[in-house]
Amino acid sequence: MRKVTLKNYLTVAFGLFVLLAVNACNPSSNEKKNDASQVEAKELPGNSIYHIDGYWSDQNGDSLQLKAFAGKPVVFTMIFTHCEYACPMMVNDLKKLEALFSPEERQKFHFVMVSFDHVRDLPERLKEYAEAQELGSNWSLLHGNEDLVKELAIATDISFEFVDDGGITHSNRKLVLDKQGVILKSFNGLGTDPELMNSVLEELF
Amino acid sequence: MIFFILCFLDFVESSKAQVPTGMVRIDGGQFRPFVNDTGQRIRVKPFYLDAKAVTNREYKDFVEQNPRWGKQTVKAIFADENYLKHWENRQKDESANYPMVNVSWFAANAYCKSKGKRLPTTAEWELAASAPPVGSKYHDVNEIILLWYSRKMPEQAAVGSVYQNSNGIYDIFGLIWEWVDDFEKSAAGNQRDGGESIPEGLFCGSGSLGVSDVSDYATFIRYAFRGSLKGNFTSQKLGFRCAKSL
Repeated sequence: MRKVTLKNYLTVAFGLFVLLAVNACNPSSNEKKNDASQVEAKELPGNSIYHIDGYWSDQNGDSLQLKAFAGKPVVFTMIFTHCEYACPMMVNDLKKLEALFSPEERQKFHFVMVSFDHVRDLPERLKEYAEAQELGSNWSLLHGNEDLVKELAIATDISFEFVDDGGITHSNRKLVLDKQGVILKSFNGLGTDPELMNSVLEELF
Repeated sequence: MIFFILCFLDFVESSKAQVPTGMVRIDGGQFRPFVNDTGQRIRVKPFYLDAKAVTNREYKDFVEQNPRWGKQTVKAIFADENYLKHWENRQKDESANYPMVNVSWFAANAYCKSKGKRLPTTAEWELAASAPPVGSKYHDVNEIILLWYSRKMPEQAAVGSVYQNSNGIYDIFGLIWEWVDDFEKSAAGNQRDGGESIPEGLFCGSGSLGVSDVSDYATFIRYAFRGSLKGNFTSQKLGFRCAKSL
């Protein structure tokens, strides 16, 4: 895993080098507005989950692709708002992690929670949930269509299944993504030690 | 009465006419889950399934029309380094009708979507596969599977060359393993309380607790294999066929 990541970084580094070299030889291309986030998206490592390019809606109803999160480390998980037991504990784990940081430090990374429940967790519902849980602007709660949710779940190795009682059985998995959406570390189960997550996260600042 | 029969025949005719080319209509039925069997049956609705696995030639056409699925362009998150590996030094024409292998779930899923289809679910696949072989070559499905497993490295062969079952499906055993849409559920178990994605019910001698028929070795192997997969894995023994809802 580590080896692959390193290799990908080298590929990216080389890619950037070529890009710069081409730009240097071609002054006219410098005139184009060189949006940093666009460059990053273009040069994402192959194993970045930000290559999943469908559109999501966040709790404010804004439409976005995952690569919009490129540039900051991300703490990622999947939940659904009608979940009574496991998901509140998952959110709680993340809030405990957040509590380790000052308000300024919290701007250095982002929380992304994607809903399994494409039927009920529409943006309005996600907004209510975010407010009830007192989640700040550094949290994004995402709704996507069935196929998109499935692709993301498979890419992140989070399994889930709708069951007859309206619930969803699912893995309780939290991921730390680097600035380019590569999964660096995963934490399975509930009640994860926030210091443990922090030790991975702060390496990325 | 005659009117009724005529109507019925007409109904049969019209439903036959709607079956997409290369696909077979599979009647629905009850499916008893192999893992985490609680005695409850899963109801499978009627659906269409490709009669044969997707071939090298078909997949090549897909890649030409969808360059993002090329060997050089595909992203590692969607397909590992062995993706399309057998294309590097193949005898072109000979293998055109061989089943496509070295494809990931993401690739198989994208292929089926491009045809307006989807991958079959585990329940659909198992239901379609459980039908007995036609003809006198083999007695039952288990005979085919055990012969297949006992071969060290099964030879490559064209799709449609092993056997046909009474559903009209070819080589669902005996040629390649096949992706299903919900392969990850073989590993899911009931993870309300989290845990690693290892199908615990299948290992550690706990099989008798969660598995519906312990003697069903062939099925055991199949589920264990699915449970070991990830979405970007590829294997030279793993291909796919597509399904479609009615």
